[in-house]
Amino acid sequence: MFKPAFWIGLLLSAVAAAHAGTIEMKVNGLVCAFCAQGIEKTLRKNPATADVFVSLENKLVAIETKAGLDIDDAQLKKDLVASGYAVKSIERTQTPLATIRERLKKPRR
Amino acid sequence: MNYPTQWWVAGALALVVPCVSAAKPIAFANGTTLMAEYGAGTMKELQLFYAPRYFYSAGLGHLALRSDVDGRSRDITYARLNYLLKRWNREAAQANVFVWGGAGNARLGEGPGDHFAWNAGFQTDYETRRIYGSFKSELHESDAFSHRIDTLQLGLAPYEHDYETVATWFVVQGRRYTGNIFDGTEWALLLRLFKGGKWLDAGVTADGKLQAMFMINF
Repeated sequence: MFKPAFWIGLLLSAVAAAHAGTIEMKVNGLVCAFCAQGIEKTLRKNPATADVFVSLENKLVAIETKAGLDIDDAQLKKDLVASGYAVKSIERTQTPLATIRERLKKPRR
Repeated sequence: MNYPTQWWVAGALALVVPCVSAAKPIAFANGTTLMAEYGAGTMKELQLFYAPRYFYSAGLGHLALRSDVDGRSRDITYARLNYLLKRWNREAAQANVFVWGGAGNARLGEGPGDHFAWNAGFQTDYETRRIYGSFKSELHESDAFSHRIDTLQLGLAPYEHDYETVATWFVVQGRRYTGNIFDGTEWALLLRLFKGGKWLDAGVTADGKLQAMFMINF
């Protein structure tokens, strides 16, 4: 029979797998909201996308993926290039998109 | 067609000096752009373009010119293909070179009949979130007329907008026409606002006439 530690580990793995992931991309050329809306439109079409956040200030495009789903780097780069932009870096985190949105939003100067 | 040296220098500066957010003939992949411009009574233009990819779009337009010099008019309806020749994406800036060409029909106020007309042009722009500049030149030709319209825009943003905030720009526009449409340079001061795919330019020319443009991307 399996020890309790096994079941705890299995449970934690299941929780981690079910948790939505966040993909943060640094993007060059993000200077105009009017122009960048194509990025959001393209990324939202991906069935793995739950939400998209764009910050011109931080040159950041962040995607929250649906639970248990991911978008591979090749597809992300392809989508950004197809939108007319250049990807500088891609990083995966467990920070919820809402947290990133709140952290980066600031009052207009 | 003899443009002062300062005009060409200003156009060249628009290429290299960080300049405002430019209206572009291509929105984004699978995007549609509808643009309507009222140019101080001298020109009115309506355009509808669809972009299958981010680097080209195709669509229809109508340009109405009314001469400020002798009152003659041209109504030009055309189909056009726009192409993004080159884009530079930098960490905090973007620059573009667009070219386009098209053909259609023109009607003249001073004479009967329809005339085949073709058009070609280019636009170059450079923008950061605080400064922007663009220079656009387009030629409209037929067996009955030849008009070139050159437009220079330089802009400054009082604050750096972000994706979910309204962008505000102050823009100076200089426009010259060939073919006796307007004598000299038509200067205008514009307030530019855009957010979420909607764009509005509104201002006045040095003659106190309305200069306005509305554009929507969807």
